[in-house]
Amino acid sequence: MRKILIINKKLFIVTLEIILLLFSLLLIFGPMTSLALWSITDKWFWPHLLPQSIGLDYWRQALGIQKSLAIGAVSIIPAFFLSLMIAVITVVTAMAIAIPAGYALAKYKIPFGMFIFFLFLMPNAFPQQPIFVNLLDIFTKVGLAGTITGVIIVHILVGLVFGVWITSATFRSIPPQLEEAARSVGANGIKAFFRITLPLAAPGLLASSVFVFMTSLDEFTGTFFIGLPFVITLPMTLYSSSGYNMQFASVIAIILLLPSILFMMLIQKVLKAEYVGGMG
Amino acid sequence: MFAAARKRRGFIFPPYVLLLFPAVLFMLLIYAYPFISSVIRSFINKKGALSFDNYIKSWNLYLKDILFTFSITIFNTLASGTIAVLLSVYFRLHDSVISRFLINLYRLPIFIPFVVVAQMMNGFLAPHGLLNIALAQLRLIDLNNPLQLFNFIGLSFGFIWKLAPFTILIIYGGFQMIDNSYIEAARSSGARRLNLIIRILIPMNKPSIMVALVLIYSQIVGTFTLPYMLIGGKIPTTITVDIAHRVNYFMDFGVANALGVFSYILVFVTAIYYLKTKVREVK
Repeated sequence: MRKILIINKKLFIVTLEIILLLFSLLLIFGPMTSLALWSITDKWFWPHLLPQSIGLDYWRQALGIQKSLAIGAVSIIPAFFLSLMIAVITVVTAMAIAIPAGYALAKYKIPFGMFIFFLFLMPNAFPQQPIFVNLLDIFTKVGLAGTITGVIIVHILVGLVFGVWITSATFRSIPPQLEEAARSVGANGIKAFFRITLPLAAPGLLASSVFVFMTSLDEFTGTFFIGLPFVITLPMTLYSSSGYNMQFASVIAIILLLPSILFMMLIQKVLKAEYVGGMG
Repeated sequence: MFAAARKRRGFIFPPYVLLLFPAVLFMLLIYAYPFISSVIRSFINKKGALSFDNYIKSWNLYLKDILFTFSITIFNTLASGTIAVLLSVYFRLHDSVISRFLINLYRLPIFIPFVVVAQMMNGFLAPHGLLNIALAQLRLIDLNNPLQLFNFIGLSFGFIWKLAPFTILIIYGGFQMIDNSYIEAARSSGARRLNLIIRILIPMNKPSIMVALVLIYSQIVGTFTLPYMLIGGKIPTTITVDIAHRVNYFMDFGVANALGVFSYILVFVTAIYYLKTKVREVK
């Protein structure tokens, strides 16, 4: 009798698990399926559950293989290369100033250190949109609004904060004894850093570079205020076509989504959970 | 520049000054200056005089939106938090093929940027989008009268879709830190499952639950993409959308900044909590 009860209980739990599984699959993949379907839709009239005819026309248009006069359909190749260029410059600049700062925050006792910590924490604690709005005003006065340089500066701001925190956490995790040992056998501070600390920190630094790269590629709000209407990055083409051309916007969304998932899967193990969610 | 100053004055800067200088200078110019100017400019009216005009105007025009933003934020923080705690407890206490699969499945939305989530929801939740069509096929709704979801409900669906998985990541991470021996000890002393969860697991994991809630709370208040693409200028909408309208259509930085300060006020308590815990962590 008792055995039957236990088996029943197990069956009950497994049933609950399967219901949860199906429900989760529907919830997570429902919206993603809708996006995928829209990207290959040729005709989709309600009340049909699936598109009546499908094709890769919108992919061809987006990738510049085929020209179309439909509203909102342009080649995204220029926007793609612009986004890529902005992201590369952003990563190089942001990391060049984030790595020394992260190292200093990790290894030195700094007077007014509290103030500096606050400065780098504030952007995570408070909404950033008012910052972009005021930067628009400031940039308009100095001629940076609507320029690629202006957009890069904003992307650096978004990336720098994560860059500094991730690199400083990385440097903090390296025991100081290692560098001291190198110094005790005659290496100077700079040599000890490049020969000992930097190689050990490399995975963390690489992960944070990839992270900064992705935040730049996906950045929306800052570019919206500072860049539009002159600097059209990939997320901006998505935004401008989303009201007119569902298929085209969906194609761009998928092009943005794939590298995000791919890269984040690669670096998530190295990153602290908190930072992973920091992406736009 | 610094090397020169060093020689001239015969004073040696500690090395961290040089290391921190570029990053701190950048943050002061590009972050702190606009932050302070956003607060100051919210008190300056169109004639350039100090006044509360912008606040009065914001209050009169956008009170509904401020309340909407606040309720969206509270609702989605609590909903994501509840979903995340329940699922994380299940993941922690029940190891099976399905639970291990679900842990990975729920990671997926975390990596998808908000702008893509917004486009996804745009298609999925539309009056004749996939959700409504599917529900109509199941005869749950009538397609001539589809669910209208570009409002509180749809926006919440989008926020929870993206943020509950992130909350799970942090909270489940916290549960993993709790040693098995605590759970075994509680079980062997006859604690029932519910007691184990309420008396032991959740209190021990309070720090990561709080950090997760605080993080998503301020993220929801500040998110522009999702409400802008789902709700846009419809009434009620969020503060972030109003700020964009104020700037894009009226070049009215005064009211935009006053609304910005309202959003600072909404996150004030959580921001202080976040800053405090982070500073303590670093120490």
